[in-house]
Amino acid sequence: MTRRLSIAVLAALLVAPADSAFAYLKFGVPVNGRQVALKWAQTPIRYFVTNVSVPGVTADDFQAAVARAFASWHGVTTASISYQLGGATNAVPGRDDGLSTLGFVSRPDLDRVLASTSFLVDTATGALVESDIFFNAAFPWSVASGGEANRFDLESIALHEIGHFSGLGHSALGETELRAGGGRTVLAAEAVMFPIAFAPGSTAGRRLKADDVAGISDLYPAADSTRTTGTLSGRVTKNGTGVFGAHVVAFDPATGSMVASFTLNTNGQFSIGGLSPGPRVVRVEPIDDADIDSFFDSTRQVDIDFRVAFVDRVVIVPRGGDSGEIAIAVVPK
Amino acid sequence: MRITPTACIVLLFGATAAHDAAAQSAAAAPGRIEASGGGSWIGRTSTGAADADETTPSNGSLRIFSTSSDLAAAPSFDVRVGVRVTRALAVEAETAYSRPELRVAISGDIESAAATTAVERIQQYLIGGGVVWYLPAPRWPRLAPFVSGGGGYLRQLHEQALLVQTGRYFQIGGGVAYLLASRPDGRLKATGVRVDARAVVRRDGVAFDGGSHAAPAVGASFFVRF
Repeated sequence: MTRRLSIAVLAALLVAPADSAFAYLKFGVPVNGRQVALKWAQTPIRYFVTNVSVPGVTADDFQAAVARAFASWHGVTTASISYQLGGATNAVPGRDDGLSTLGFVSRPDLDRVLASTSFLVDTATGALVESDIFFNAAFPWSVASGGEANRFDLESIALHEIGHFSGLGHSALGETELRAGGGRTVLAAEAVMFPIAFAPGSTAGRRLKADDVAGISDLYPAADSTRTTGTLSGRVTKNGTGVFGAHVVAFDPATGSMVASFTLNTNGQFSIGGLSPGPRVVRVEPIDDADIDSFFDSTRQVDIDFRVAFVDRVVIVPRGGDSGEIAIAVVPK
Repeated sequence: MRITPTACIVLLFGATAAHDAAAQSAAAAPGRIEASGGGSWIGRTSTGAADADETTPSNGSLRIFSTSSDLAAAPSFDVRVGVRVTRALAVEAETAYSRPELRVAISGDIESAAATTAVERIQQYLIGGGVVWYLPAPRWPRLAPFVSGGGGYLRQLHEQALLVQTGRYFQIGGGVAYLLASRPDGRLKATGVRVDARAVVRRDGVAFDGGSHAAPAVGASFFVRF
């Protein structure tokens, strides 16, 4: 049995996190009463591209930009995922036709959605069967190497969507400010999987960050990566009670990189996998730089009433093991 | 050459005086083995600074918070075994154990989180060797000033031995050895104390920047000479 799940990049994410999620968010699907991580059962994953062009982007440009984005994910050495171009197709993204299709579709009604990924899932196993990505032709696009003013960079957006296509959810590693007319402006982000795109003209989203690498490595670990990487886990509490939805960031002082996850149950437990061994500084913050439903099912009660805090000890990520539970007590604002 | 009885006495007397002087001197004859144990105090050293930055749309950076780290001063337990190559030169093997704190000071949080110092106590082993060059001090035969230098393997274990980080260390310094007692005819030839000051340079290990960082150290030890 299969079921289609819809994921809109700039709108709500209507998925539940997998209870055992490691690096930031993996999509979870219910299988026999429990949540399992959504992922492809086999690689390489075949994808097809449509021959639809839009102003500024020919069909060939589109195929080339998408291929570069797929190559970035494939190039993660600690992950085993790979992709293969099946060719051009007249299929339309979003249809259950057995082809994983990427292409432009004009959806002026979705005025805040640049692109969207949808899935066809085998609900008996949780395995992905098909995934389509549509890029909203109602927006101006560019494939210029240095970006183009007032146009969204196709490769950057494709890189984000292919993260979803592969089974990754959103990361909260980013800073935003509210716009007067509604919505948010991204000040900075340290994950391609941050739910809000950079402004038109920016190409800063073309490079995967440590958080993205940890996520894909956790979902599709390379043969020896479980031995060479480690996990950081713990529990966030407030007044003795577990905090759900706290954003936990592990900072590596040796590399300056950040990888993050969330507390994913009412006990306040979290786990961040795919980390290189070494000491970490751990920071906990409420989700306040994007809509909460970009990360969690809107029915979940996410606690954002606590102050940002650091763990007062250096936390060690061992090689091929777990840090042991870190207890983090936060205080209300 | 013929030696007269008088000359023979003078020669014998001279030989005995020289023997006593050697036995009561901090300088030792080649081949002598010296073992020592004691303690040092190794001063604080930086282990690097790093900022948590996010990428802006223009490929710039936005600082989320800053960190600076150090390895705190800590006492060290030292053991050395050396052998005299010449009266002035000895080669030594050494090991030292200490438990300094690794401290990461966090500040400047973009959301005004309170500044915090994250701390961890590590175990540190120095295993290496060096050379000691004894300088003449004719007015104080029991005292032997020296300069020393060496280096070796640095092994640092994080808490609960969850992770080992390794590197190298180098040190250079000097001090004095003072002879407390000597027994020229005994199996144990002499005992004494040794104090020194040195600069210890640790490279890699827990240093976040992978660089070399120097710290001052002073030490004192008790030695026995066989």
